[in-house]
Amino acid sequence: MPGTVRDGFVASLALVPSVFVYSTVFGGLAVQAGLRPLEVWGMSLLVLAGASQFVAVPMLAAGASPLAIILTTYVINMRHYLMAAALAPAFRDFPRPWLALVAHWINDEAFAVAVARRNPPDPWFYLGSAAAVGGAFLAGVPVGTQLGGLVADPTRWGLDFAFPAVFLALVAVQLRERADWLVALASAALAIAIALVLPGNWHIIIAGVVVSGVAALVLRPEPA
Amino acid sequence: MRTDVWLVIAGMALVTYLTRAPLLLALARRPLPPRLRLWLRLIPLAVLPALALPLILVDQGRLVASPAHPPLWGAVIVFVLAGLRVNLLVTVAVAVAAVSALRALG
Repeated sequence: MPGTVRDGFVASLALVPSVFVYSTVFGGLAVQAGLRPLEVWGMSLLVLAGASQFVAVPMLAAGASPLAIILTTYVINMRHYLMAAALAPAFRDFPRPWLALVAHWINDEAFAVAVARRNPPDPWFYLGSAAAVGGAFLAGVPVGTQLGGLVADPTRWGLDFAFPAVFLALVAVQLRERADWLVALASAALAIAIALVLPGNWHIIIAGVVVSGVAALVLRPEPA
Repeated sequence: MRTDVWLVIAGMALVTYLTRAPLLLALARRPLPPRLRLWLRLIPLAVLPALALPLILVDQGRLVASPAHPPLWGAVIVFVLAGLRVNLLVTVAVAVAAVSALRALG
């Protein structure tokens, strides 16, 4: 379904400038921290999870233990468990080797765009979305490693706000019934409360699991 | 080739893949019970606000919800435009421009 792939790609274009700028900043910071361009690009291709890479680079530069860096990466990326679970029903007709490949391209932005369109999403739409986001990320990194420290602070242009803006816009279009509002508001409140006391990404994982889990126990499932 | 750096990168890649692949592979094939399907459908509704709101309202462990905080107004703009079903690209562009302008004024 190439048409649906293209729809997913186009729907995600709103994110491409910000993802590109952020990965450019990442590339610049990483070479300034002493990594070689090939290492920076290799990390981006193999890990493909921006937030954890931003945290890992200064740890590497400061000589933190490999185990500490790897564990931190794992904790920051644990939110993927939730996205993988929510995406799984969309890919039931795909052969398993494909799934093993698709898994690598699970990210916040493509997930948000695809589930806001349809939940569970259209798998081809998701792949188009993941291609736009992943492509922008991987294209920005080598630009950043070449520019080094020349890249300006993205907060100056408000580009840091593009990420919460997209997440918020995509939850807004999903709010149809009263139960949807309750889940979204409860999760927002719990996530803020946790973020005030726990560092890292725990608020996403805890609020995501607890609120969706409690709601799934309380609400009535639709007939199959 | 710095082996130590590449070993860290390989470790990061492995643990990150372990957050992505297992549930995608495990839950894709089998028919799921209705309550589990309901849970999977609710995950985005819980995860997206949990991603977005702390990015807007929490800065280094402190609540920043004052009217002088530009992202707060950006969030209001996003919510109104998205609620009116304005195109995502336009919504994000307007909100980003507004946050940038408010920061320049402030």
